[in-house]
Formats: sequence, C-alpha cells, structure tokens
Amino acid sequence: MKEKIFNIVPDATIEEKGGILFVTVPQVSFHDLALRLRKDTDFQFDFLVCMTGMDWGETLGVIYHLRSTVSGKEIVLRTETANRANPELVSVSDIWATANLNEREVFGFFGIRFINHPDMRRLFLRNDWVGYPLRKDYDADEQINPVRLDSESSPDATQTLELTASGEVEEKENVIFEDDEYVVNIGPQHPATHGVLRFRVALEGEIVKKVDVNCGYIHRGIEKMCESLTYPQTLALTDRLDYLSAHINRHALCMCIEEAMGLEIPERAKYIRTIMDELTRIASHLLFWSTFCMDLGALTAFFYGFRDREKILDMFEETCGGRLIQNYNCIGGVMADIHPNLIRRIKDFIRYLPPMLKEYHGVFTGNIIARQRMQNIGILSLEDAISYGVTGPSGRASGWKCDVRKLHPYGVYDHVDFKEITYNHGDTFNRYMVRMEEITESLHILEQLIDQIPEGDYAVKTKPIIKLPEGQFYKSVEAARGEFGVYIESHGDKFPYRVKFRSPGLPLISVVDLLASHNKIADLITIGGSLDYVVPDIDR
Amino acid sequence: MFDFAVVTEWVDAMLCRLLPESWVTTTEFVLVGICLLIAYAVMALGLIYAERKVCAFFQCRLGPNRVGPYGIIQTVTDMIKMLIKEIIEINHVDRFLFNLAPYIVIIASLLAFSCIPFAKGLEIIDFNVGIFFLIAASSIGIVGILLAGWASNNKFSLIGAMRSGAQMISYELSIGLSILTMVVLTGSMQLSTIVESQADGWFIFKGHLPAFVAFVIYLIAGTAETNRGPFDLPEAESELTAGYHTEYSGMHFGFFYVAEFVNMFIVAAVATTLFWGGWMPLHIPGWEAFNRIMDYIPSIFWFLGKSAVMVFIIMWFKWTFPRLRIDQLLTLEWKYLLPINLCNLFLMVFVVVFKLHF
Amino acid sequence: MRTTQEYFSAFFSGLGSLLKGMRITLGEFFTQKTTEKYPENRATLKMYDRFRGELSMIHNERNEHHCVACGICELNCPNDTIRVESDLIVTEDGKKKKVLKRYLYDHGSCLYCQLCVRNCPHQAIEFIPTFEHAVFTREKLCMQLNHEGSKLEEKN
Repeated sequence: MKEKIFNIVPDATIEEKGGILFVTVPQVSFHDLALRLRKDTDFQFDFLVCMTGMDWGETLGVIYHLRSTVSGKEIVLRTETANRANPELVSVSDIWATANLNEREVFGFFGIRFINHPDMRRLFLRNDWVGYPLRKDYDADEQINPVRLDSESSPDATQTLELTASGEVEEKENVIFEDDEYVVNIGPQHPATHGVLRFRVALEGEIVKKVDVNCGYIHRGIEKMCESLTYPQTLALTDRLDYLSAHINRHALCMCIEEAMGLEIPERAKYIRTIMDELTRIASHLLFWSTFCMDLGALTAFFYGFRDREKILDMFEETCGGRLIQNYNCIGGVMADIHPNLIRRIKDFIRYLPPMLKEYHGVFTGNIIARQRMQNIGILSLEDAISYGVTGPSGRASGWKCDVRKLHPYGVYDHVDFKEITYNHGDTFNRYMVRMEEITESLHILEQLIDQIPEGDYAVKTKPIIKLPEGQFYKSVEAARGEFGVYIESHGDKFPYRVKFRSPGLPLISVVDLLASHNKIADLITIGGSLDYVVPDIDR
Repeated sequence: MFDFAVVTEWVDAMLCRLLPESWVTTTEFVLVGICLLIAYAVMALGLIYAERKVCAFFQCRLGPNRVGPYGIIQTVTDMIKMLIKEIIEINHVDRFLFNLAPYIVIIASLLAFSCIPFAKGLEIIDFNVGIFFLIAASSIGIVGILLAGWASNNKFSLIGAMRSGAQMISYELSIGLSILTMVVLTGSMQLSTIVESQADGWFIFKGHLPAFVAFVIYLIAGTAETNRGPFDLPEAESELTAGYHTEYSGMHFGFFYVAEFVNMFIVAAVATTLFWGGWMPLHIPGWEAFNRIMDYIPSIFWFLGKSAVMVFIIMWFKWTFPRLRIDQLLTLEWKYLLPINLCNLFLMVFVVVFKLHF
Repeated sequence: MRTTQEYFSAFFSGLGSLLKGMRITLGEFFTQKTTEKYPENRATLKMYDRFRGELSMIHNERNEHHCVACGICELNCPNDTIRVESDLIVTEDGKKKKVLKRYLYDHGSCLYCQLCVRNCPHQAIEFIPTFEHAVFTREKLCMQLNHEGSKLEEKN
C-alpha cells in the first residue's frame, strides 16, 4: 500500500505504527490522494472516521482517520499549511459527506478555510467571535470575547471559496434560503429537539423543503479545556459529552490513555467495565424508546420507559455513586469494586425487562398509527450512511456492520457471544427496531458476563502524575448511539497537547436534511427522534 | 322518577307572583345564564382534575396529590392562578381578532353545552331541531381557532390553525353522518324526544349493528372534533410547541383550555344522549324489581355517570395512542370512516324500513 | 391499499393493534404506582452509601480532623472548587508547619469527580450522601468544611 501511495504522491512521508500508516501529504496533492483512496479498488477508504484540526505551532493542519468498510483497513492522513494568517486547505466534503460539518468545525476553531466547501460558516461559535479558540496562540481575554447579550441574526447566505479553472481561489456567495421561503425555527428551545439544537426549516405547507442545522448552543469547549487539564482530570469531562452513555465515553478515554501508557488493566476491571457499558446502553435505549414515543405523541409510553430505566439508574447509584454521571472508570480500572448487591440486582433486572419489552411492543411497536408513521419514512441508504459516517444503531439500520464491539473488540466483548443487529431498509422503523433488539442483545451479554466476573483487583495503582509518551493515540468504542472515538496527541507532558472526541452525534444531525426533505413536519420530528442524537455530544 | 320540571316550574310560578311578565322572562334568562356558567365552570374544573388523575394512573403515577385531599383543590388553585395572570400584549398581532378568538371558542362551546338534556326536565333549549342546532353551534369554535392561528402572527400557530381547519371540516362530516344515522332510527331531531324514545331500551341495543358502528365512528370523530389526542395535531406539542394557542396567556389561554375540556364532555354527553339512553335508567325487560331499584337513582346521576364513562374512554384513547400525522388523519376520515359511515347509514335505513330493530 | 382485501385486512389488523394497546394501558391503570412520596417518606428515604452528595471533612468526636493543608486536593480539582487556606506556624521544636485555617468548598462548581478524595494522602475528606442542597443564593453553596475550632488530630 505504501508504494501505491508513493506512486500517487511521490513527496509524501509515510510512517507505520501498529500496522496503521500515517501519511503526511503536501497540501497541493492532498485532494487527489483522498479521491484515489476513496475510489481505487485497492484502497476503498469510504469511511472518514474522525477529522481533527491541529495547531502544531508553526503550521496548522488537519488529521483524517480513514477506514475501509470493505477491508477494515485503517489509514491516517495528515496535511498542513504554514500560512497562519490566511490558512487554506482543500475540502474533501465532495468525497466524504461527513467532512462537511467537520470542516466547518475546524474552520471555527482554527480558522482554516476549505476551498470548494459549499458552506463556510462556523459550526459552533457565533459569527462575531474574535479569534480561533483552539489555536495555541489564542487570546482568551474576556475583553475580546465578552458574553454577548444581543441576539445574533441568522444569515440566509454564506461564503464559499471556489477554485476556478485557472487555479485562482474565488469567493462566492451561497444562498441557503431564498427571500420568499417560509422559514420556521425549530429549536433551540423546542420540546422535540432533545436539547438546545436548532433547525431552520423551510416549509411548503406541511412539507419540509430544506433543513439547516445550527449547533453550538451548548458548546462548552471541552476539547480546549482538556488541553489545560491533567489526564485524570480530563476524565471528569467525558461524562458530560453524551450524558446518556457517560460510562462508555469514559471507557474510551481511559482505554486510550491506558494504551498510550502501556498499562494492562486487571481482568476483573474489564468485566466490570463491560457490564456497566451494557447497562448504560440499555438505559440509553430505554430512554430513546421513551422520548421517541413522546415525540410521536404517545406520552404514556414515555413513563413506562422511564420507570424501567430508573431501575438501572438505581444500580448505578448503588455501585458508582452517581445516576447519570457515574464517574466510575478511572485510569487503570474502576474507582471502586462493584457493590455486593449489584449482581443480584442485575439478575433481577434480566428477568424483569423482557415482559416489559413485550408491553412496549404491544403499546407502541405494533400500533398501526406508530407503524405507519415509522415505516418508509426517512430512508437512509447504505452508501449515504457510510459517506455521512452515521454509525451506531442508525447506521446498522441501513445495513452497515459498524459495531466497534465486533470490529475491534475491547473490554471482554471477545469473550461473549452476541449478534450484531442489522436491518437493510434504513427507514425510521428499522432504526427503531435495531435499538429495541439491541436491548435484548445487551441483556443477553449481561446474562453471560454476570456469573463470570473473575476475582482480583478492580484497578491497578497508577502514579499520581500521569505522563503519556509522545505520539498520537486513537481509540474508539461503541457508545449507545455510534462510534465514540478519542484522539490524543501527546507531547510528553502531563497535559494532552490536543484531545479530539469523535462524537457519534455530529454525523447524525448532518443527515437530518437529507432524510427530512420532502417529508412532513411530523416526519422531521420522527426522524430526529429515531436518530437519537444527544446535543451536548454534538456541541462538545 | 324525579322530574326536574317541578323545580323550574316552581321558580317560574314564584317569579310570576312577584314580578310583571316581561320581568319574569328577563330574570329567568339571567338566572339560567348564571346557572349555566356555573355549571360550565364546575364541569371544566372537574374534567381537568379527572384528566390529570386518569392520565397519571395510566402512566403509573399518582397525579396531583398536594393541594387538598387527593389534590382535589389543585385545579381550583390553578384556575385562580390563571385568572390573575397577566394577559401579555404581543407586538405585531392583529389585536382585535387576537382578542376575539378565545371568546368565539368559548361561546361556541357554551352554546352547545346549553342544549344538553342533563336530567328529566333539566334542559335549557329544547326545540325540534335540537341536535342539529348542537352540531351547528359547536362548529363555530373552529372559526375561533382559525382566527387565533391567523391573528397570532406566529408561524407555528398558523400551521396549527390550518391543520385544525382541515381536521374539523373532515370530521364534521363523520359526526354529522353518524348522528344522521341515529336520527333515521328515531325520526326526530328533538333531544327530549330522542331520550324519551329510549325508555324501553337504549338505542345502542335497539339499533344493534348499525347503531354500534355509528357509535364507534361518532366517538372517533368526536375525539377528532375536540382536538384531543391522538388527533391533537393543531396543538401537537412535539411539533408545533402549542399550535394555535402558542401566543396566548392568562385567561385567554384559559378559555381555549377550558373549552377543550368541556367540548370533550359535550361529545360524551351527545354520545350518551344518542346511543346510551341519555338520563334514562338501565332497564332490563322482565326484571321488575331491578328496574324499580334503577328508577330510584336520580336521572342526573344516570346522565353524568354515563357521560363519565364516555369521557374515560376518550381519555383512554388519548393516553394510549401516538399522534396521527396529517395525511393519516385525512386518510382515516376520507378512506375509512366516511365510506363506512355511508354504508352504515344505508344499513340503518334498511333496518328502519324493514323494522329489523328491536 | 391496492386490493379490496388488503384494504379490509389493514383496517381490521389496525383496529386490533389499537385495542391491544388499550388493553395494556388499562392493565397499567390498575398496577402499583411508582410515584415517590417525597417529602412524606423522608424518614424512610435512604440514599445509597456511595452516593456523592457533597464533600465533607471527617471530624472525630474531639473535633479533630486529618487535614494537614497540603493542598493536593486543591491541585487535583479540575474546576477550582476547593480552596485551602493555611497558616504557617513555628512549632515548639522550631520546625515550620502548615496548619489549616479554612477549607473552602464551592458546592456549586463541584463536578463530583472524586479526584480530591482519591488523592488525599490522609483520608481527611469524603463524600457524604446528603441530597437536599437547594438554597436561595449562590453564596450559600460556598461552605467551610473544617468545623469551627477544630484542629489536626495528634498522632500518638
């Protein structure tokens, strides 16, 4: 593969670490290489897993983690520009659709403008934000960016940079909404957006014509904060990303740090982490079911789901001390041993839930109204799912086998036998059913693990000050709503140089426009509910 | 059985003795109006409390239980809160229409409420096209909803009002046709006649299959008419936040809220009157002693009890089903309910002509 | 809805599904309700031992604590929740020693991440399972954890 890349780009630098190629490509030939990597039958890197903006001091750049869904191979691309005053890179949003929002994020945080990107707005920050916060020379003085109390007008047109035939870069205006369009704001305060997400929706009567997603209403700059925190301190923030899979997120960061340190954690800790992960997944899917029913107007179902989720939260509280923010994983294992009651409680729960699931199916899944509202609505094709990077249950509903637990088993997932639920149609009903069946499958995993927990330590002792060796580390887990990845670049300090969280939510909202256009307003809500995004995870 | 006419006639006679004739009529009008308004308000409070409790029980909760025993004072305090709340003036609304809309809704609901025969002799308006007047009066409410949506100058409200318009026009047909089916069986549109002709058996039994089908359709269409779940599209809170009454506050919102609940009761009351014998007690032919005992229960309790069951069923719908989408809503009406209704009407005519009813 | 048969079968199966849902909700109507009757059940309501309600300093019955004012908790806190104020005193044998003056804890900004408790070399602090934290002003959430007049426990 190395040679083939050298054939395309002779002046690329290629390193190999752990079987993965790290390719540094000059900016001019980057787009060509990306296109070849995507299209050539030898490569077929069709999934852009993670896109990380970087500031290396002299240069600004982007790191692309690519994966092939055909061969499972992975490659890391890196490109940079030395022009800090007016950095420009070529967009790959025409190759991988998921790059669209990610490049907007990089633009907002690093000021890198992407040529040929259709819509160069900041994704999370206000348009009047001064400076680029994730650059190392950013001035965080409150005088420069005070808390602005005026509301920001939403522009109907955006700037885009286009490369003309003669090789010149030209600024153009790209219109999002025409003047005579009936644009309705759904969010940021809206019962069905599950948080402070804002859609600007162009309507034609009941029909949705176009959806423009506006994020950043709960952006807290967690990635920036991590750069000034020690490694154990960064853990506290992961729980606040996707709070419904708090435990799983933290698992990812812990694993990434442990792998970088070369720390081997005890078997017992692995079992405990896996069990807790699965409980989190069930809790999250139960919450999905509840809120999805509520979005569709079946409020009673909402309470049934919450009633049963409460039982899991009680288990968390007893063992971890927290209900939503469990704060249980730590570097080297888990904070405390499992509570003596936990095993009995889980066993009770495994018996308790299946009849309840049957009730759920009776009251909602089978219901003719619900069925008709879900079936054939918002069909996401397999190609689109991969191109947009829609992982997790939503991706699996389109037939994409993207379960990280199967692809790169972590924890003790290689010891258990479970099915990866996939459907083929990719409509709302499939997305719904994947989650419902994953609850059963998670119960099945718990059943296998609960009596197998080995004796031993629940954590290994670590030094009070943790320093990671220099290098780049990426680790991903299967969170409740998709692949959650952690990218750490360490320069050997006790603080990370750069931390990037690959949020499963960002790709989910990027497909809302694709799925909801030409459907009805009610379908927009249904589709949003079935994608099951969590807003703090999108905004980070 | 106690006849309420005794009381009303006594009041009338007393007033006649005290006042000249023209004053008597005026005083009686005022008295009736006051009684009606009080009944209306009390009914609304009771229904709101019932809804909250029933809803809570369906959802494994206890519902209001803080204010008063079992929370029975809760709705009263809520009403007081609503009454003293500020009515917020909104910029850029059509102020006249905006303020008019809730009154149209509440007046339509009051008019319909006044037609209902609550008990033997307890009926305010009773004339030969009673049921027809009731449908006509209750349909005025839609004008208020459309006005509210339009005058609010809010995109969500407008969509809600438009949905409401489409919904009302469609389901009015079903209501009308199912009532027509029963009118065919009775041969009268006067509400008192309809109730009295059920003395020997309620229409749901007398009219058997066509009456039952008409009843089911009436209940579905009636739920849709009152904008209640699963037909609450005009105010679908997960889509349109609150639909046509998004911009209303204070008692103006309260009018919409109260009207919705009383409209539900009106639907239930009409169902009771048309299908379940109105205030007639349950009689089983041959069981004389049983029938005698049933007669001792005052007619008002019979009526309210039956209506309560109907109301419970409507609430049960709301707290079980997800909301329909607008196209499902129209499909249900135009592709299912309307054809079935027409066939059912024909069947009823057939039954009546060949005297196949009991 | 292509054929007449489909029309009718869809109608009746749909009706069946609706009735099934109604049967289930009616069943739930009569089941045990799950509402927690708080605050009536205050006496019986017990939180789990590990529940992290707020940070507290362990004092023994002689009003003594273990805190040597080393400030490790303060350093470890990711959100600047803890402030340790200490005095430098000279002991009888001429050594300079830090003594805790005030241990300030801002409950409003606590992340409950347990780094302070886990890193304390003397087990001087712990999380306690209280949960009724509502106050009217933010200042009331800033607490002093060492009791008035308390001192370091002497090691024998």
